[in-house]
Amino acid sequence: MKISLNWLKEYCNIPVSAKELAEQMTMLGLEIESMEEPGKEIENVFVGKILDIQPHPQADKLVICKTDIGKGEPLQIICGAKNMKAGDKVPTAIDGAILPGGLKITRRKMRGIDSFGMMCSGAELKVEEDSEGLLILPPETPIGEDIKKVLGLDDVIFDIEITPNRGDWASYIGLARELSAYYNIPITLPQIQIKEVEKSVSSVSSVTIECPDYCPRYAGRVIQNVKVAPSPDWLVRKLLSAGQRPINNIVDITNFVLLEIGHPLHAFDFNKLNENRIIVRLAKENEEIKTLDGELRKLKANQMVIADAIKPQALAGIMGGADSEVDDNTINVFLESAYFDPISIRRTARAHNLLTEAAQHFQRGADPEMVLWAINRATALIQELAGGEVLQGILDEYPQKIERKFVKLRYERTGKRLGINIEQNFQKSILINLGFAAKDETEREVNFIVPSWRHDVTLEEDLIEEIARFYGYDKVPNTLPKIRQSSAVFDASFKKIHNIRTLLVHKGLTECYSWTFSNPEIMQQLKFPDNYLNMVVLQNPLSKNLSTMRTSIIPNLLATAQKNHLEDTISIFEIGPVFIPDDKNILPEEKQKIGILLSGYANPRLWCYNERKHYDFFDLKGIVEDILNMLSITYRIEGSEFPLFHPGQSLKIKNQNKELGYLGKISPKVAHELEINENTFIGELNLNDLLNIPLKKKVYKTISEFPSTSRDLAILVDRIIPVADIYTSLKTIGEGILQKIEIFDVYTGEQVPKDKKSIALGFTFCSNEKTLTDTEIDALVNEIINRLQKQFDAQIR
Amino acid sequence: MIKELEKIKEQAIKKIEEAQSTDLLEQIRVEFLGKKGKITEVLKKLGTLPAEERPKMGSIANEIKEIITNSIQEQYQIILEKEIQKKIEEEKIDITLPGRTCGIGHMHVINQVMSEITDIFIQMGFQIASGPEVETEYYNFESLNTPDDHPARDVHDTFYVKPGVVLRTHTSPVQMRVMEKTKPPVAVIVPGRVYRVDNDASHSPMFNQMEGLLVDEDITFADLKGTLMYFVHKFFGEETAVRFRPHYFPFTEPSAEMDISCTVCKGKGCRVCKNSGWLEILGCGMVHPRVFQYAGYDNEKYQGYAFGFGIDRMAMLKFSIPSINLLFDNNLKFLEQF
Ligand SMILES: [Zn+2]
Repeated sequence: MKISLNWLKEYCNIPVSAKELAEQMTMLGLEIESMEEPGKEIENVFVGKILDIQPHPQADKLVICKTDIGKGEPLQIICGAKNMKAGDKVPTAIDGAILPGGLKITRRKMRGIDSFGMMCSGAELKVEEDSEGLLILPPETPIGEDIKKVLGLDDVIFDIEITPNRGDWASYIGLARELSAYYNIPITLPQIQIKEVEKSVSSVSSVTIECPDYCPRYAGRVIQNVKVAPSPDWLVRKLLSAGQRPINNIVDITNFVLLEIGHPLHAFDFNKLNENRIIVRLAKENEEIKTLDGELRKLKANQMVIADAIKPQALAGIMGGADSEVDDNTINVFLESAYFDPISIRRTARAHNLLTEAAQHFQRGADPEMVLWAINRATALIQELAGGEVLQGILDEYPQKIERKFVKLRYERTGKRLGINIEQNFQKSILINLGFAAKDETEREVNFIVPSWRHDVTLEEDLIEEIARFYGYDKVPNTLPKIRQSSAVFDASFKKIHNIRTLLVHKGLTECYSWTFSNPEIMQQLKFPDNYLNMVVLQNPLSKNLSTMRTSIIPNLLATAQKNHLEDTISIFEIGPVFIPDDKNILPEEKQKIGILLSGYANPRLWCYNERKHYDFFDLKGIVEDILNMLSITYRIEGSEFPLFHPGQSLKIKNQNKELGYLGKISPKVAHELEINENTFIGELNLNDLLNIPLKKKVYKTISEFPSTSRDLAILVDRIIPVADIYTSLKTIGEGILQKIEIFDVYTGEQVPKDKKSIALGFTFCSNEKTLTDTEIDALVNEIINRLQKQFDAQIR
Repeated sequence: MIKELEKIKEQAIKKIEEAQSTDLLEQIRVEFLGKKGKITEVLKKLGTLPAEERPKMGSIANEIKEIITNSIQEQYQIILEKEIQKKIEEEKIDITLPGRTCGIGHMHVINQVMSEITDIFIQMGFQIASGPEVETEYYNFESLNTPDDHPARDVHDTFYVKPGVVLRTHTSPVQMRVMEKTKPPVAVIVPGRVYRVDNDASHSPMFNQMEGLLVDEDITFADLKGTLMYFVHKFFGEETAVRFRPHYFPFTEPSAEMDISCTVCKGKGCRVCKNSGWLEILGCGMVHPRVFQYAGYDNEKYQGYAFGFGIDRMAMLKFSIPSINLLFDNNLKFLEQF
């Protein structure tokens, strides 16, 4: 909300500078978005009267003016504008003047003739967006007056953010009320004088409220024989300073009163109301109204309208109807001032997407006791600016009186909540200054009557906040609480997940952080199985590409790989949630997943590496194994049939029947489609399932004091036999004496038959009881050989 | 004979001093002290001397033998030293070459900051809680004293999943979930992703918040100020000024916003702080009685505070990151800076 300091000062005499005021308002909860001094840069611009205009002999488009600025001889000024005539008063910058933006005006020759200054347009003074020609001032403007004073540019404009609970702040008088309470200075309300004629308003019109829950109070006045015309300058300027467009004097007055007191009013063309009367009622289902913005709106049965005897003439509290709009031909005006239920206004305004100024005020709660003041203020102004006869009396229907609320304050609660003791009398005086009235007072507590404009105060805590605000948040001490722990655990996995993150970073991977939205089409393109395509869908997504919540992190990682395709090595991971719809619950299941992607070179281009190695399957498998081992998880590996992957280079990881994750080389086809490196390896682990697996308990094993012995063996087996099977089979030999099996070479190639592979195995034997003899070890090696021959048809080399 | 011995001694010492290798020294030792060496040869002649001269001559000969032995020993040490020096010289490398490593990776800047912030609060006694990101309107709004018709809902541009289900617009719903699960004392922080329909240079539709909730019998507004001041001093440094302004949130009363002195201009005024010298970073307040009512807490017995702030903003301030969109763009040239 834009607030002019000069205008604000009409209601209370603020005792501090603009800067101090801004700081104090901030500390009262009125957040200052910006503070501008519109005339700050303007110097030496005065009101001048054009005495004479002559053509310029050397230039068709210029004229020579003689302009009187009230000092010395009239100035000769060359001017290019066309909209002025002799006798007009215009802003005149003299030699040495400064205009907004720092433009300096000096005496100079224009096409051979001296010009001693410049006459200004509204745009040049930054009072209009753009303008054609000079700014013509009203004829009564005094010659020689400083233009800043005339145009109200010697002002400070605050842009204030008003929180939704304080609708009462959203007006000049509302602000003045707050500041006068804080600075303890009087508030001056404008004098209202209305001359009523003898004819009573009830003889020509009536108000009927059919829905008192929606409209507890409705007041109307009728003013006859008004002259609709443009508003005078002072009113136009005030509306402009608030960012409002002037329309005509009647409408402008209602808008002005809204700015002044925060109470929305509406003026109807009285003659356009059928039977000249008002019915406040709910709309009939599908009833229609054409609102002032030209829209034909279909109404619902719970939406309140202001109707005449036949049809709706306004969307109550939100926008007037086009059919009863005040225009240049209007003679008689029906002026409305009402109090509408905030929730009903909010619902209707939202339903029609019409959050007008009026709707905003009503939805935050207007002041039911301000209804008559507001209508009288506007009536007086109409009479002053548009003439006319005010019919006697007000049609004031108030079927549901809004009672003042009472809120009890226990003085000691203030200290208990705030952590500082504030003297009782001081607490009380703060609230009294703010318009609260004390009732039923005892030594320890007091019942306060809440002012009619303070809809936000309903609880003791609200009073405590008022006291804290005026006492000063900055004066409340800063103390450290004694924190007592609860025994409940709310998130057991945060630390473990962070440990995994740290492990991966230490292994050289870089962490990504993506939006969790996803594109269902990409999921299909990546050939994710159907269960991944069952996604949480957003009703109002930012775009089609972001219309669902992700079920996998892999598309994010692939997008990152695409985005960074110019890098020669990409080793990234991301940890975060995926969202799986759950038919049995209102909310989807959220699972934390970790995705890893490797692509490009595995080692840096560095003097000490002979060659650069490309990432391969086992780089990724090793990383995943490290995570599983860090968590002490038992798992087994199976081939994966995930279509995203190369069928010969992919696996899934299982614990019992639970799939913990999968990894593999991206299928060459997908790599081609996405235009990413074929040597890209991706894996995804389900962290929730990983972290839920009971840990293998670690138990100390005796460290043998006897020496260990190693033997190596090279065997030739069918190429298709998995090494893991050999490993598993041999592990059971020797009842603990065979302590370690190393697979230190695997070879396929020219040296061995085409369907065979050579495997080099290293065995370490050690006993806890004695030094093993050669005979004992030989026996074990023979057992190993036998088993290899029998089970795997191995040839010993 | 003495003369002969003296001559041998001089000869030997000269040779020893000239010797430049341990092999040569060994030759010299054999030449003079060996079984067939020069001294031995001389001593063989000892028998030719009169008996009374023999002991004297014998001891002189032994003396010279010792001198030569010592001299060889000394020279041996010198040569050894030189040879080690030479070896060291040969093995010298360029120690400025980079070490052999594939490098360590980079934790995302949000998680670095998240971890730093959670550590501060955990040390103070808070524990971490979490909750769903797809949330019911009940937890996201209603139970936080923000019913459907509340104007405060206007500031939350909410993503809807279906009627009654939204992407959470703040981490505050976890407050209610935690309070439903346990009775006071409660001391939790809630880091997490939140969502609002907003996407421009200074807004991301997904961003990160940290919520804090402390409820017990005597938690005051002063405690709230003190806790947050302590946090700011730990995170931004002791010299950072802190200011609390009255504000409005439906779920706290009294409510406040916290500003810190601008981290760029140190409070003098610059473009980042719109010349005010202050940066708004956090909203907070005492838990609203109606929120306690939803949680089933006795407002007469318990009181507490809650706060919430943007983790992304903290990261941006801490590392001078100009745009929030950089955080979620996954450009490696950005990620690898931190
Ligand atoms: Zn600054």
